[in-house]
Amino acid sequence: METKYFKSLEEIKLDTRQKDNVPAGDKQFILEMQEEVKQATTASRRDFLKVFGFTVASAAIASSCEQPVRKAIPFLVQPEEMIPGKANYYASTFFDGVDYCPVLVKVRDGRPIKIEGNKLSSMTQGATNARTQASVLGLYDDARYKNPSLKGTGISWEEADKQIVEQLEAVKAKGGKIVILSTTVISPSTKAAISKFLEAYPGEHVQYDVLSSSAMREANQMNFGEAFIPSYNFGKADLIVSFDADFLGSWLSPIEFTKQYSKNRKLTDGQRKMSRHIHFEGNLSVTGSNADKRIQLRPSREKATIASLLIQLRSLNGESVASSVNVSADIKALAEELNNNKGTSLVVAGSNDVDTQLMVNAINQLLGNYGSTIRTDVHLKLRQGDDKAMAKLIDEMNKGQVDALFAWDVNPLYDYPEAAKFNAGLAKVGLKVAMPVYRDETASAFDFICPDNHYLESWNDAEAKTGYFTLAQPAIRPIFTTRAAQESFLKWAGHETDFRTFVQKNWEENIYSQSESFENFTAFWNHKLHDGVYESGASENAVSAFDPTPSMNALGNVKESSSDGIELVVYANVGVGTGKQANNPWLQELPDPISKACWDNYVSISPKLADELGLEDEDIVKVGETGPLPVLIQPGQEYKTIAVALGYGRSNAGVPANGVGQNAFPLIAMSNGHKQFTIADVSLTKLDGTYPVARTQTHHSMEGREIIRETTLESYLENPESGNEVREEIKKHLKTLYPKREFDGFHWGMAIDLSSCTGCNACVVACSAENNVPVVGKEQVRKAREMHWIRIDRYYTGDVDNPEIVRQPVMCQHCDNAPCENVCPVAATTHSNEGLNQMAYNRCIGTRYCNNNCPYKVRRFNFFDYNGADAMKGNLKDPAEMATSLRRLVLNPDVTVRAKGVIEKCSFCVQRIQEKKLVAKTENRQLVDGEVVPACAQACPAEAIVFGNLNDPNSKVSKYFASERNYHLLEELHTLPSVGYLTKVKNTTV
Amino acid sequence: MTITPFTSRGSIRNSMVLGLLMLLFLQAFDLKAQTPEAEKNFAQCRACHNIDGPKLIGPNLKGLTQRHDTAWLLRFIRNSQEVIQSGDPVAVKLFEENNKIPMPPHPDLTDEQIIDIIAYIENGGKVAPEYAAAAPTAEEQSAQDEMLNQMYLQQAERQQQLENLQGDANRNFGTTFYVTIIILLITLFDLFVTKLIKATFVHKVVILISLAIVGEVTYKEAAALGRQQYYQPDQPIWFSHKVHAGQNRIDCLYCHSGAEHSKNATIPSTNVCLNCHNVVRQGKITGTTEIAKIHEAWNSGKPVEWVKIHNLPDHVFFSHAQHVNAGKLDCAECHGPVEDMDVVMQVNDLSMGWCLDCHRKTEVQFAQNDFYKSYEKLHEQLKNGAINKVTADMIGATDCMKCHY
Repeated sequence: METKYFKSLEEIKLDTRQKDNVPAGDKQFILEMQEEVKQATTASRRDFLKVFGFTVASAAIASSCEQPVRKAIPFLVQPEEMIPGKANYYASTFFDGVDYCPVLVKVRDGRPIKIEGNKLSSMTQGATNARTQASVLGLYDDARYKNPSLKGTGISWEEADKQIVEQLEAVKAKGGKIVILSTTVISPSTKAAISKFLEAYPGEHVQYDVLSSSAMREANQMNFGEAFIPSYNFGKADLIVSFDADFLGSWLSPIEFTKQYSKNRKLTDGQRKMSRHIHFEGNLSVTGSNADKRIQLRPSREKATIASLLIQLRSLNGESVASSVNVSADIKALAEELNNNKGTSLVVAGSNDVDTQLMVNAINQLLGNYGSTIRTDVHLKLRQGDDKAMAKLIDEMNKGQVDALFAWDVNPLYDYPEAAKFNAGLAKVGLKVAMPVYRDETASAFDFICPDNHYLESWNDAEAKTGYFTLAQPAIRPIFTTRAAQESFLKWAGHETDFRTFVQKNWEENIYSQSESFENFTAFWNHKLHDGVYESGASENAVSAFDPTPSMNALGNVKESSSDGIELVVYANVGVGTGKQANNPWLQELPDPISKACWDNYVSISPKLADELGLEDEDIVKVGETGPLPVLIQPGQEYKTIAVALGYGRSNAGVPANGVGQNAFPLIAMSNGHKQFTIADVSLTKLDGTYPVARTQTHHSMEGREIIRETTLESYLENPESGNEVREEIKKHLKTLYPKREFDGFHWGMAIDLSSCTGCNACVVACSAENNVPVVGKEQVRKAREMHWIRIDRYYTGDVDNPEIVRQPVMCQHCDNAPCENVCPVAATTHSNEGLNQMAYNRCIGTRYCNNNCPYKVRRFNFFDYNGADAMKGNLKDPAEMATSLRRLVLNPDVTVRAKGVIEKCSFCVQRIQEKKLVAKTENRQLVDGEVVPACAQACPAEAIVFGNLNDPNSKVSKYFASERNYHLLEELHTLPSVGYLTKVKNTTV
Repeated sequence: MTITPFTSRGSIRNSMVLGLLMLLFLQAFDLKAQTPEAEKNFAQCRACHNIDGPKLIGPNLKGLTQRHDTAWLLRFIRNSQEVIQSGDPVAVKLFEENNKIPMPPHPDLTDEQIIDIIAYIENGGKVAPEYAAAAPTAEEQSAQDEMLNQMYLQQAERQQQLENLQGDANRNFGTTFYVTIIILLITLFDLFVTKLIKATFVHKVVILISLAIVGEVTYKEAAALGRQQYYQPDQPIWFSHKVHAGQNRIDCLYCHSGAEHSKNATIPSTNVCLNCHNVVRQGKITGTTEIAKIHEAWNSGKPVEWVKIHNLPDHVFFSHAQHVNAGKLDCAECHGPVEDMDVVMQVNDLSMGWCLDCHRKTEVQFAQNDFYKSYEKLHEQLKNGAINKVTADMIGATDCMKCHY
């Protein structure tokens, strides 16, 4: 293959630099290391004797002490379904106003410890994302409000209820205005509870979306006579054209879309067709990085480009339109392609601009996509917020017209662009009640804080799409003195009912009637609560026929943009997202799939613009009034488009989040009443100094070997082996003196389809949660000491200014001829009879020889005690407060918590293998293929990871291994890995 | 699980006769109503139900078939919670009338067995007349005597084992150690100073032997560091396994029910104690004082804090279900003759060497359990006679990551 892969810009630049000119970060690192070594070696023989003597003495003292008395305290009444030491799974639903996911909660001895996707939901089919996986840690967030309070003083719920009701009555008596401000509410029962409240106290319910789609709702109002968001099916689309819609990362329902998208692009199981994805964007997003063809487009030119596409499509269909917009050759070709895929294409735009959405609607209408890839009779309900209603509310607050404000689970003082205006208006509100889930900037400005339960402590339900109902049930009693917000609303309205009964009653009255196959409601309820999912198949009333007039008006208004300034995109990344879960150490340490940076946000800037402005990595700049922010040079950014992630710069969220990065929400501009996430003409000012950014990227470079193999669909169809030809050659050279090791029974293996992996990082968080992987903090990541057992390597190929992106998840390869095993002086790492590369922590003495000898660099060393496992308190290093007694509750009791000084690495989730083997043994049957699922494979929304028994020729993983696309990482070293990769296939042919 | 010992001659004889009769009849007849097997099965029910008399935890069973039809009874006895959750009004009412204490499911009972039990209840808790004891023939009598003799021998052996254990537990190397040191010192003193014994080879031999003894003792003590063999702490309640598991022959799994399903064997929750001690309020040895502590815990809502005896380090994963359920091991293999102990003692040192020893010796349920069909090569070797049995280590039971992960 001729393509040159590079992992970062340094790698290219290194060629031209002097040999001794090591990149600054590394040099500094080396110096620090030398300093550490120097300090260590100054110890004299006498010191050694002292330490040695002390150790012997303390060991003698410790051994003469008696063993501690350990208690075993049984239940008073053991709950029927619960056996100590055995996990239970409860179906529930995760929705925090941004992400929606039906889940199963793994509860071990009364503690929720892991989130998994619910396979019974036909919407997400068991998929999850990083934030859903991480949400369990939010339950154990010590910063959450622990009890109701009034002006900072804790009060009892009775007292809070009494005072709030008194004040509400007063407001009602004088006819004042009462407003409930919440995120989008998708729960039918919650809506019913809120309307009960509003019956008792007439007022208004305003929904506020941080990632707003209000322009799309308005556009649909104009085209279809109803403000709604349709449901999309990326699985049915053979041609996907996206204008800056990050549908695999943050746009509308990314978990669902990733599932659909990846299923339609798999070439396993004999499928010979895959969708084609063309992506226009200025910022380099996760979705863009997965596209078959990514076209750089300045945000300000997007509207004109969409207009030209519409014009071209219309002219192809014999309808002409007079417009001044030029149609480029690329767009002509694209229109042709779309026209050939009528009814099986999908055009989406991420912009929150009404005209843009109107034109996109017209394009989809022209292509006949409504009814096939877009359904208007099934609505996606995840974004119901209206930016205009929010702006109106703030105006009213400023005019003193709002007498009571209930802010439930919203944080406008942090994430509303005009937070100051909200704050000014808030001062004029009489009764101010905040009902936050997590600690935030807004609640502290409210008089009453009536904390809501975490979702794992609550009853709830949800209707994410029309007829797609899910239930949520508590997996633990509320840890703090919190109360479900719905219960609070009902209580204040004079209904003394708990929310569980309310949900149940609501289902009996309104949802049970849609089902036919159950004798009575109890049976129905028990069944649905068990499954967590009820899909009634209902649909909405038909919307009115498509009215093209508004779209044509929008098209007429489009002018070519002549802007030449620097443009800004603010975006939600896959980890921290909108910042709601910013106080989650797992998410803070999650490397961005593109830049591989964590623990900060930064300004992504194209190499060309950086050269022009004289900026280098880690220089500090100010964007508009926001800053200082470090610069990261990001190949793939459009020449004059810069990007900053949202969700950072929290000031009152808790220890891991506070002061990390800068808040980019104030950069968002309003246009025609809608929030704009792209801003034209921003100023970029260079400040003095540099700021270190922690990246997990440059320290495991694989030095230009054949590690990612890719091909195009056309070549693949011709020759399935294309891109992987080198394999045959390598195989010929693999010779050994030793007999091949045979495994009887089981030989575990993993196959990863590089075509499917989108880089969403759900696996990384799932692995951390399952395997007690520590969080080390920014400073340690800078020293290349991050502990993730699975990482997703990202490489650029081709042109530096417009590269393509390929990525590869790498974990321990469980080599059958493992280089690490030979060098361990104490046999702490050995091979099991099931092909696992075993790691016995208690035998490890920390020589790190294995680490040095591993060609894949997947072994991690505990430089400190990060989890509080050590008896020596001084070993603890816990910058993210992961070792607090509360956060430690999330630890998986089936996996050893590692102490300082030992190596650790991926174990193929051996605890899950052992668990399932035991289940099969007790049921007197053979293990079934697909029964053992490691945490990464379970979490993957794209089903990119397949695990199973290589000894079974019919197992899925054996079939993947037998595929012509399969190859192993650095297989020329004859390490015989148990992890296989399938070549990446891009659909770049038409 | 445990083969229970018999303590008095009379009870042994009675049980033996009954057992032998059961054996004979079971061979002679098919399952019939009101068989002794029903009586045996009913022992489980008896913990909560009386047929007649004072109401226990569950309702009295007299007139059972008049109240419910057989099909319903079959469903309810097999899994009562399932019936209740299906919304069956009779079952829900019954559940609520009885303080919502669930009746444990009995998935292992066949329809015939349940019908058998019902007939037994209808008969007022007596086996059918045809099962009444017939006089044993001379042959049977001698067989019985033979078996009895064997049981005596076993019993004596067990008693000896327990005594040995106590002896081991009380053995103290301290005296040996210090005496040896003194001898060593005296020898050295004599060798260099007093020189009473002229032949120095005597000194040398004594010194070598002393050093060997000191070394041996030091090694043994050092190896035992952090281990708790012979640990026998006092418990908050003077609970005797000898009375419960020994004399009353309660199955280990009745109380330690987790052992079959979970990594933990589980200590029974207070309500399990009350299944019997709701009625039994006075013990043979301790009178009412100890049993009153259970009631106190129940009334105060504070569970009993038992002292954990068998402790494994955190980096060891041990599953009871693996050993008891899949491996079909007897509890006593690791825990020793618990049914003979008034106060439980940790019999084995629970060291890794001890674990591995067993993993190397223990034969796997290779032919009996379908799970092992995956091991094709071993099956082949068994077939062609290359090996005659499969031990746990042959399927990887000595690998690190079978216990450490």
